[in-house]
Amino acid sequence: MDSSPIDSSSSSSTLSSPTSSPHSAAHDNQSRTLTLSQLEQCKVEERVFEIYRIFSDAPAHTQTLMVELWRDKHIEFLTRGFNQLGPSYHVLDANRPWLCYWILHSRALLSESIDTELENNTIDFLSRCKDKNGGYGGGPGQLPHLATTYAAVNTLVTLGSDAALLSINREELHSFLLRMKDSCGAFRMHTAGEIDVRACYTAISVASILNILDLELVTGLGDYILRCQTYEGGIAGEPGSEAHGGYTFCGLATMILINEVDKLDLSSLIDWVAFRQGVECGFQGRTNKLVDGCYSFWQGGSLCIIQRLLSIAHHQIKSSPISLKHLSVDGNADSASFTGCKPDRSPYQIHDFDGEEAGKRSAIGLEFIKITNEGPLFHSIALQQYILLCSQVLEGGFRDKPGKQRDHYHSCYCLSGLSVCQYSFSKTADSPPLPNAVLGLYSNLLEPIHPLYNVVLEKYYKVQALL
Amino acid sequence: MHGRPRKPQRAVDAAAATANASKLQDLQSQLIHNHHLRLDFDRYTNEAISVCSKLLEINPEINTAWNYRKFAFQHNLHETTNSEHIKSLVDDELRVVEMALRENPKSYGAWYHRKWIFSQGLADVDFDREFLLLDQLLQADSRNFHGWNYRWFVSKLKDVPDPEELEVSKEMVMTNFSNYSVWHNRSVLLSRLLNNKAEGFFEREGILTKEYGFVHDALAAGSKVQSGWFYHLCLLHQTITPNEISLISSWPPHESALVLSAIRDTGYYFTNTRKLPIVLYFNQTVKGVNSSSVIVNSMLFKNEELVWKPLPPTKSEKAACWVTYLQFPDMKSWEAKVYVIEVKIDHSEAIISSCSGSRSIHPLNFRFTLSLNYDNLEFAESVDELLDWTDVESLGVESNDLVSFDQSKLSEDLVSGFSKWQMQTISGEINLIETLSKENCKFDKLTLARLLIAHNAMLSHKTPVTERQIHFREVLELFDDLVKLDPKHSKYYEDEKSLVLMNQVTFDKKSFSNHCSSSRNYISSKLHLHGCMQLRNLSLTRIGYVERLLWVQVLDLSYNKLRSIEGIEALQLLTCLNLRNNQICSFTALQPLKLLSYLKVLDISFNDIGAHPVDTARYLFSSPSTRSVELDKEFLEDYCRSKVDITNNWEAICLFRDLQLHQLDVKNNAVADKNFRDLLTKALPTLMWLDGERLR
Repeated sequence: MDSSPIDSSSSSSTLSSPTSSPHSAAHDNQSRTLTLSQLEQCKVEERVFEIYRIFSDAPAHTQTLMVELWRDKHIEFLTRGFNQLGPSYHVLDANRPWLCYWILHSRALLSESIDTELENNTIDFLSRCKDKNGGYGGGPGQLPHLATTYAAVNTLVTLGSDAALLSINREELHSFLLRMKDSCGAFRMHTAGEIDVRACYTAISVASILNILDLELVTGLGDYILRCQTYEGGIAGEPGSEAHGGYTFCGLATMILINEVDKLDLSSLIDWVAFRQGVECGFQGRTNKLVDGCYSFWQGGSLCIIQRLLSIAHHQIKSSPISLKHLSVDGNADSASFTGCKPDRSPYQIHDFDGEEAGKRSAIGLEFIKITNEGPLFHSIALQQYILLCSQVLEGGFRDKPGKQRDHYHSCYCLSGLSVCQYSFSKTADSPPLPNAVLGLYSNLLEPIHPLYNVVLEKYYKVQALL
Repeated sequence: MHGRPRKPQRAVDAAAATANASKLQDLQSQLIHNHHLRLDFDRYTNEAISVCSKLLEINPEINTAWNYRKFAFQHNLHETTNSEHIKSLVDDELRVVEMALRENPKSYGAWYHRKWIFSQGLADVDFDREFLLLDQLLQADSRNFHGWNYRWFVSKLKDVPDPEELEVSKEMVMTNFSNYSVWHNRSVLLSRLLNNKAEGFFEREGILTKEYGFVHDALAAGSKVQSGWFYHLCLLHQTITPNEISLISSWPPHESALVLSAIRDTGYYFTNTRKLPIVLYFNQTVKGVNSSSVIVNSMLFKNEELVWKPLPPTKSEKAACWVTYLQFPDMKSWEAKVYVIEVKIDHSEAIISSCSGSRSIHPLNFRFTLSLNYDNLEFAESVDELLDWTDVESLGVESNDLVSFDQSKLSEDLVSGFSKWQMQTISGEINLIETLSKENCKFDKLTLARLLIAHNAMLSHKTPVTERQIHFREVLELFDDLVKLDPKHSKYYEDEKSLVLMNQVTFDKKSFSNHCSSSRNYISSKLHLHGCMQLRNLSLTRIGYVERLLWVQVLDLSYNKLRSIEGIEALQLLTCLNLRNNQICSFTALQPLKLLSYLKVLDISFNDIGAHPVDTARYLFSSPSTRSVELDKEFLEDYCRSKVDITNNWEAICLFRDLQLHQLDVKNNAVADKNFRDLLTKALPTLMWLDGERLR
């Protein structure tokens, strides 16, 4: 929770402290009594520390080189993935919009523009994944599913052109979301599918970014998410299960988007997430599991969201029941308030998407990003070090941890996590960070994201302007 | 999302891969065709169903195929009443799920399909088969949360008693001590059994003792594993959580005789706000404090008219500290006598512990008296002299303060009323962790520190001071080590350390008296205040143990490292507060002050307000974000006319407009420029001194 900016030299000295040095001797003595997961943890630590040792022993210019972001390689890997994938990718047949999102979002983070042909092909492909009654399936003709709907919508937002955004039928999508809404307040992944926090997040994120979030979608949802927060502090996939990084992000972001975040026990949530950053400098997803690069976003992103919550209190004050608009003192006054989402509209009038209510609700995301950031709650430089030294694959792409294969999922979430880190000291979401907030050369800097939706910020503004 | 690609694990040669791919493509297109036939004509064929299963064996992610099977299953069910046939239909589905799980044990669709089939309640469930399946899957990946969720589902379906599941978790822990999922499962089961007082679990102490023994084995296996420590922490909470709700302190204190005065004079409680708080501080956060659960008997006020509020006020209406205000708009009607006020908390069960849900409460009555000083019944405006904090010295103790100190602790016997078992358990754990402890393991140190803190709380006041001091020193050293060992979480450790420091200086009369300032000196002769407390230069980052300070009126917290003053709202009598030279970063962090209606003098000079990004160390935001502020229109219009930069100073305006300060010091904060001073003059019409200069 150190919020003072730390230069890379101090972080590398942290790494050579006694606790984090590899304990190979101890390892040999203990190996008989070690459990399987302990052995695995030791192996990962040794591997990671080996990398860090080489790094800290290297001369300064080599260090700079070692933490360079290999932009061209990453773009090459990502572009290849878009055109041709190996047969082993068949498991993603039902997740093809996800592939679009992982690849295009990663490219957008790297500021890589998209040519018209690729864009048109993507729009065309996603249109074929669209169900005639709303929602996107995992591939053309497949059953519409909330997760792939989220991926498809975020992809189209990332493409950002009018054609991409106008290809989304918001009315149909809204009726799809309503069909997925269960009487308990939570959402189902698909017709007759499972209910969990992931479904809730994908539904609310999509509704919010498209300005179709209304009372009916929100009703009862906060209480469901609340039931998923465990005594550990984090949020589980469903009530009674153990706290998990991915679900913690989903639950937290959902609660903010529906303006009920104060129901959560935030201080225990922070404790839980902050303590998931380990000696390897990266985050683990659950207690006593191995570090994994993708949690750079799920856990790091959660903390980055929380950084802004203090100012939410401030905003609550600003947007008190008297609208400042009438007094014309505040240029931003017409933007909606966090507290002002009054459910005075009849639930049957929901199709009025240009209506004030849905707009106000969705404006929470817009307001959120305007909030002043308060400095990181995690060791941001250390996490960048893990991403660049341990997750980055020199041939392009990112991986879970050293020794694993790169893939598009990890590339997307390592890059998203890296962006979150780089901007974690910046006061406002799109102001460029100071050089000491970015590990390595300043050219490592990625585009800023909107952390509640995980789309590049500029693309988010575009969709807000259009809708 | 979590549907992440699973890496190719088998080496498949290229030709076979291509063949597989085209087979898959073929199956997929058949499925899509069937899917649309179903949608359009509600038609199902056996061939289509088998296409689905072939497809799911290869790729269980295809939800379309799962759903096709669900609808086909329901369709076929309508056609038959033969129980054998139904059973074979169910078996088919279960088999497909098993094949799919073999391919991907984390397939959401597959697990859900199995739950869905059983939820139909069509055939008897072969539980042996289900548990066997679970054993196999959890053996392959003991952290698979789908598996754990399914285990909850099956055991609920079978109505497996929790104790049996607890036994299973024991076996699983034995095979892998560092499997946190099992520990988590066990902690959930155990808390449920203990809280519900299930059969065989009445004997909380015996059960917990056994659990400690169990977790020790795991810790001995390797103290670097978080899992065991988490469970240990869970047990520690279970051990020290008081079973019974009790009141630990109050203001006014029991048997106190308050004399109210309309003018300032020594020995009286001056009140120009014409109200007097009653503060209750419980040993845990509770809900349901109101005029029917707490009865205030007096001739002066009607109990039903009293409104109890939690401090800090939250939407969830739960807190350890509660306040109500006795209002006396017209003191002239009082008779010249001593009024007795009695506060009664009884067995009503209306007060509920918000952690354990327990309703059992230690019944308690306390009383105090109120009388009026008749020398002058006209409310005088307060003094307008400048208060100079440097005059507040630790000159010794005023006897009144110590009386308050003793009295405010209502139930001394309750505070130290821990059972012998609790004492022994905690001491035993301390010894054990000390012997287990390896060099530089943060979990060891943190657990040891927590145990020592728990132990300290249990020591009775008869324990020699030296023994307590040794404990305090030990804990403080542990936190210093932790800051060095784990700098990433240093702020957490500093906060914990601050609590220990607060405890150290307030735990008994002697240590306490070193920090009480004399009221015979310059300042209090002007203000005539009772409790003066000086906690300067202690490196505090937060405050705590406020229940011991409820009577304090002058508090000097200068030269600390405070980032938050959360908790200060319990000090309802606070009139002068010195926060000079701390690390307060924002006005939001000062929000608790809004709840202090007596506050007149405030020094926040030499802080970091407006300097750099606010530190959101955990305690800062939790209460402000739960409050919202209502502003009236006139107020806003008034500000707009005055051309004050309203938008950028909302935080400050909203803080100060609720305060009735006479004296304020804000100098040496980044925010404090000329414009800001103008704003303060406007926001605080009562202000007479700003940064040592006379305003009015």
